[in-house]
Amino acid sequence: MAGFGGLLLIMAAAEAGALLFLNSLRHNDSTLQARFLARNRTLERIRSNIYLSGTFVRDSLLAPEQSGARAQVATLDALRRDSESALTSYAAALEPEEAAPFSNLRSQIESYWNVLNRTLAWSGEERGKYRDAFFYEELVPRRTSMLQIADRIEALNEEALRRGDVKLGDLFGRLQFGLLAMIAVTLLGGAALASLTIFHLLKLEGEVEQRLNENVYSKASLQELSARLVRAQEEERRALSRELHDEVGQAFSAVLMEAENLLDLAAVPEVRAHLESIRGVAAKGMSEIRDMALLLRPSMLDDFGLLPALEWQGREIGKRTGLRVQVASEMSAELPEEHKTCVYRVVQEALNNCAQHAQATAVQVCVRHDAGHILVTVQDDGSGFDPKRVRGLGLLGMEERVRHLGGAFQIDSLPGRGTLLRVTLPLAAIPEQPDVAPSQHEDSSERLWNGGLPYGADSHSAG
Amino acid sequence: MGQIRILLADDHNILRDGMRLLLERQPGFVVVGEAADGRETLQLAQDQRPDVVVMDIAMPNMNGIEATRRIVEKHPNIGVVILSMHHDESYIIRSLKAGARAYLLKDAMKAELISAIEAVVDGRSFFSPKVSRILQEDYFQALGRKDADDSYDLLTDREREILQLIAEGKTNKEVANTLNLSLYTVDTHRTHILQKLNLHSVPELILYAVRKGIIS
Repeated sequence: MAGFGGLLLIMAAAEAGALLFLNSLRHNDSTLQARFLARNRTLERIRSNIYLSGTFVRDSLLAPEQSGARAQVATLDALRRDSESALTSYAAALEPEEAAPFSNLRSQIESYWNVLNRTLAWSGEERGKYRDAFFYEELVPRRTSMLQIADRIEALNEEALRRGDVKLGDLFGRLQFGLLAMIAVTLLGGAALASLTIFHLLKLEGEVEQRLNENVYSKASLQELSARLVRAQEEERRALSRELHDEVGQAFSAVLMEAENLLDLAAVPEVRAHLESIRGVAAKGMSEIRDMALLLRPSMLDDFGLLPALEWQGREIGKRTGLRVQVASEMSAELPEEHKTCVYRVVQEALNNCAQHAQATAVQVCVRHDAGHILVTVQDDGSGFDPKRVRGLGLLGMEERVRHLGGAFQIDSLPGRGTLLRVTLPLAAIPEQPDVAPSQHEDSSERLWNGGLPYGADSHSAG
Repeated sequence: MGQIRILLADDHNILRDGMRLLLERQPGFVVVGEAADGRETLQLAQDQRPDVVVMDIAMPNMNGIEATRRIVEKHPNIGVVILSMHHDESYIIRSLKAGARAYLLKDAMKAELISAIEAVVDGRSFFSPKVSRILQEDYFQALGRKDADDSYDLLTDREREILQLIAEGKTNKEVANTLNLSLYTVDTHRTHILQKLNLHSVPELILYAVRKGIIS
C-alpha cells in the first residue's frame, strides 16, 4: 500500500510543479509585454520630443525677431530634459544588441540639441541668412537619421519581444513534455504497482487456499485419528475385558477349586481356617475382576448383541441408583460391530448422565431400524438442562462417535422438562448375520469365541 | 444306582484338574472325559455318553451355550450343569433355554456342585443361591417397573402343585404318578399354567419358578 501512497505523492508533486511553472510562465509573459510596451512608449517620447523640438526651432527661426527667445530656450530645455530622462530610463534595461545603435542615437541627439541651442542664439539677420541652409542641410538630415535610429531600436525591441515569445514557447514545450513525461511515468508506475499488487494478491490468495486445504486436511486427519483412537480404545477394552474375565478370573476360580480340594484333605482346624480365608479372598477377587471386565466392555455385547447389553446396562444402573430403565428394541437383526458399539456407548453415557446429573427416576431407551437409518432415543423425566449452554465432555464424546459413522446427534431439553436424546445413524441395510440354524452354525462358531454368541430374533424381555 | 459318569468341559487345565480331583473323591462320581472346547465336548459326549456334562460358557471353538443346545438336542438324557463366571441373567436365561438344567457360578462351594450334579441326574433343576437371587432380583425389579399384576394369583392350588413338580424337572408321567392323576389331566393343567403365566416352554417355566422362589 506504500506503493499507492508513493504514486499519489508523485502525482501531487508533479501537478503542483506544473501549476507553479504555469504561473511563472504567465508572470514572465506579462512582464515581457509590460517591458516591451514601456520601452516602446519611451522611444515614442524621444521621437515626439525630437519632432516637437524640430517644429519648435523652425517656428522660432521663422519668427521675424528674437522676441520670445528666452521662453523658447526654456521650452526647448524642458524638451531636452524630458528626452534625457527618457534616454536614461531606456538605457537602464538595454538589450545587448541595442547598445551600439542606442549610443549612436544618444550622441546624435546630444549634438542635435547643441546645434539647436546654437541656432537660438542667432540674431535676426543671421536667422534670415542661415535659416534655409540650416533647415535643409542640418536639421532635416539630423532628424531623419535620429528617427531612423529610433526605428531601428524599436525594431530591436520588437525583436526582443519576439525572442521572449519564442522563449516562452520553448518553456511551454518543456512544460508540455514534462507533463507528458509525468503522465507516462505515472501510468507506468501505476501499471507496475497494479501488476505488483495483483501478483501479491494472487500469491496471498494462493497461500490462503493452501492454508485452507491444509486446514481441511488436518481437520480430516484429526477426525480420522480420533476415530481410530476410539476404535483402538474399544479394541483394547474388549481385549482387556476378555483377558480379565477369561484368564485372571479363571485363575481365581482355579484357586477356589484347589482350596476346596485342600479343604477335603485338611483336618486341622487352623489349616481349614486359612483355606477358608484363601477361598474368601479368591471369591472376592473373582467377583471384582468380573465387575471390572463388565465395566470395561460388557461381554453380552459381543456374546449376545446390543439389546442384552443395553438391558444389562439398564439393570446395573437400576441396582446402583434406583433409576428405572426400560429398553425397547425393534431390531430384527444384529448391527455391524461399529454401529453396535457406538449405540451402546452413547446409551451408556446417556444413562450415566440421567443417573448422575438429571435426577431422573425413569428412562426409556428405544432402538429402531427405519428407512435406512438406525434411530436411538433416550428419554428421561429428569431436571433437564439448556443444551446450548451445557456441553460436557461426555456429550462431545457421544457426538464424536456418532459423527464418525456419519450420523446426527440431537438433544432436546429444557430445564425442568426432562431430556430427549436422539441419535440417527445411516445404515442402508443390516447385513445378514450368519444363520443361527445349528447346521450352519458350526462354520461361525470359531468367531463366537471372539465375536458373539448368536442373538436371534427371540429377544426376551426382562420382565 | 450305578456310578455317575461326568464329562468336564473347560478350557483351563488347572481348573479341570482341580475339578476332577474334587469330584472323583466323591463316592459314586467318575470323570469319564475332559474337553477344552465346545467341539471336543460334543465329540466326547457322543463317544462317552456321560450322565452329566459340567460346562463352562466361555470356550474357544464353540461356546458352552451352543454346545449345550446341541448335546441336549441330540442326547436328551445328558444333563448339563453350567459352571460359569457370568452372573448376568442374559447368560443364565440363554443357558436354560439351550437346555441346561443347572447353573452355578464359579465361586460355588463343592457342596453346591455335587448337589447340582445329583439333581440333574435325577432330572431336576438346580441353581446356586446366588443365581436364584439374581433371577429373583431382576424379576422383582421388572415387576416394580411395570406394575404387572402377579399372574401367580391366577393359578389354582392344583396348578401351583403341578407347576412346582414340573419346575423341579418331573416329566408329565412322573407328575401324574405323584399326584394320582391321569396323564391327560396333567397335560391340560400344564397347558393352562403356561397360558395363565404367558410362558411358552419348560425352561421358561423353570425360570419363572426360580424367580418366584417356588424352587431354588
